[in-house]
Amino acid sequence: MVTETAARPRRSSRTWINVARLLGLGLVLLWSLGPVYVSLITSFTRPTDLTTSPAYLVPPAITFEHLAHLFGATSTVQGNTVQSVWPQFRQATLNSLITSIAATLLTALLATLAGYAFTRLRFPGRNLLFFLVISSLAIPAYTVMIPLYRMMISLHLVNTYLGITLIYASAFLPLALWLMRNFFASVPIELEEAAWLDGASRLRTLATIVLPLAAPGLVAVAILTFLSAWGQFIVPLVFSPSLATKPLTVLIPEFVTRNSVDYGLINAAGLIAMVPPVLVVIFLNRFLVRGLTAGAGK
Amino acid sequence: MTALPVVPDGRQNPQSRPRTDGWLGFWLTLPVLLLMVGLVFYPLVITLWDSFHRVDPLRPGQPFIGLTNYRNLLGDSDVKAAWSNTLWYVVLAVILETLGGLGVALLLNGVRRGRNWILAAVILPWALPPVVNAVIWKWIYNPSFGVLNSLLLRVSAISEPHVWFNDRATALILITLVHVWRMMPLTAVIVLAALQSIPAELHEAAGIDGASPWYAFRRITLPLLAGALTIALTQSTVFAFNLFDEAFVLTGSSLDTRPLLTQVYISAFQNLNFSYGMALSVLLMLASLLVSLFYILRITGGRSGD
Repeated sequence: MVTETAARPRRSSRTWINVARLLGLGLVLLWSLGPVYVSLITSFTRPTDLTTSPAYLVPPAITFEHLAHLFGATSTVQGNTVQSVWPQFRQATLNSLITSIAATLLTALLATLAGYAFTRLRFPGRNLLFFLVISSLAIPAYTVMIPLYRMMISLHLVNTYLGITLIYASAFLPLALWLMRNFFASVPIELEEAAWLDGASRLRTLATIVLPLAAPGLVAVAILTFLSAWGQFIVPLVFSPSLATKPLTVLIPEFVTRNSVDYGLINAAGLIAMVPPVLVVIFLNRFLVRGLTAGAGK
Repeated sequence: MTALPVVPDGRQNPQSRPRTDGWLGFWLTLPVLLLMVGLVFYPLVITLWDSFHRVDPLRPGQPFIGLTNYRNLLGDSDVKAAWSNTLWYVVLAVILETLGGLGVALLLNGVRRGRNWILAAVILPWALPPVVNAVIWKWIYNPSFGVLNSLLLRVSAISEPHVWFNDRATALILITLVHVWRMMPLTAVIVLAALQSIPAELHEAAGIDGASPWYAFRRITLPLLAGALTIALTQSTVFAFNLFDEAFVLTGSSLDTRPLLTQVYISAFQNLNFSYGMALSVLLMLASLLVSLFYILRITGGRSGD
């Protein structure tokens, strides 16, 4: 009898918990995806429908005008022929891709080689060097940016792919190295010992035995580095003053100040800049989560 | 975080180890050493050194001026305003990200089907370029045509469109929200990973002993999350001290909302007062390190984290 009366309120409270949980999940999804939805519909809403109050939550008609403005040689906006932003936009997209991919390749390569050395090879100064590199995680980029700017000017590396790539690599390497060392340390050493007995060299062992086993870690490192580079703003703002190396992140805010009313164009440009991160989140999320949690803990 | 884990070297059989290890280790780590010394440690030393000098491309020479830069920073009203703004960003962002991230993690931990998809949606804002986030939110906050006013008008929460960036408190909160939108997923992911490592038996045992869910949460879950929360708090704090992109896109260099990093940027790259900006960046780094250290000592109680 006692158990019966005790069980009943518990069961109904469980239903309430489930309802609350569903509501909570709905709110979380709305909070996370709502702004992305707004950007998506804005990119496809006619300019006249964008300047209504209150704003539409679902656009009454769909237009590709803003995308045409971005990608076309010239385009018409409300009857007027306007100069397209395509040449700038294409160059900035290329710049973003080149610097992010170069930084990712360089960082992943250096982190793999050095990470392996820090895990498996014994050499003088190993622990000191590792400690130094990891401790630089505590040094924010802005603290070194001003001297770096003057160095880069004297080396003629401002506004070059090389300069930007080197700065990105130096900024993302500590975390990448930390992750790679953790991943390498989780590969059983017995496998390597067997390969050495067969006469394989260290580098051969790394390439044929260790790396395939640590591949998920390498993917995590690569996408974390790529996303960090892709989203960078203050570094290119200082080091990429002209269109030669200016990335999307610096170009897009310039749209805001130049044509302050053209939110359709800005959102369409933003939408293009979102494509790589969205693809990563959809297809490689487990590697991303793995990198984020391994980077935070342990 | 303070105690680096010692990587077990395993049973090292001296006969099977190639003898060239020392040199190979040197060559494999040399590029990292050069890159880090050249682009991080050397510039850091220069920053510290130059902050005691007058480095200004418009004036000849770089004389030693002792603490003058730091003394001037204390009396600079713009810098004071930026400190106050940044402290607001840090306090608001850390509270919202920690509570929100903890809430999201607890919610997700109870989800069985489709958790990976919900997690992907939750992580998305973190993965997007911060500048693009800020541009989207600027449009949402638009006083005439923005969705925020539209939604509030539709539910009759307000009677006429509101101009959001007219007063400082609202502007600070709205900028913080954009930052929280991006950074909360990190806290959620870190806490979720820790939640999943808590054995379910612990909660079952607490349930059998008649503990209320709140009691079980406070006495079982929360202590086991201490390590993860320390890391999440540290990350939230450091990133909030570094807030730049969101404020720069939403309100430019407006003094009402200007964070310290924008102040550093203006001092160095617009006023070209390099050493003044460097001195400020040193103070900003120290502040963010001190707060992080405080969490680590406070939450882990002096024990080295697990």
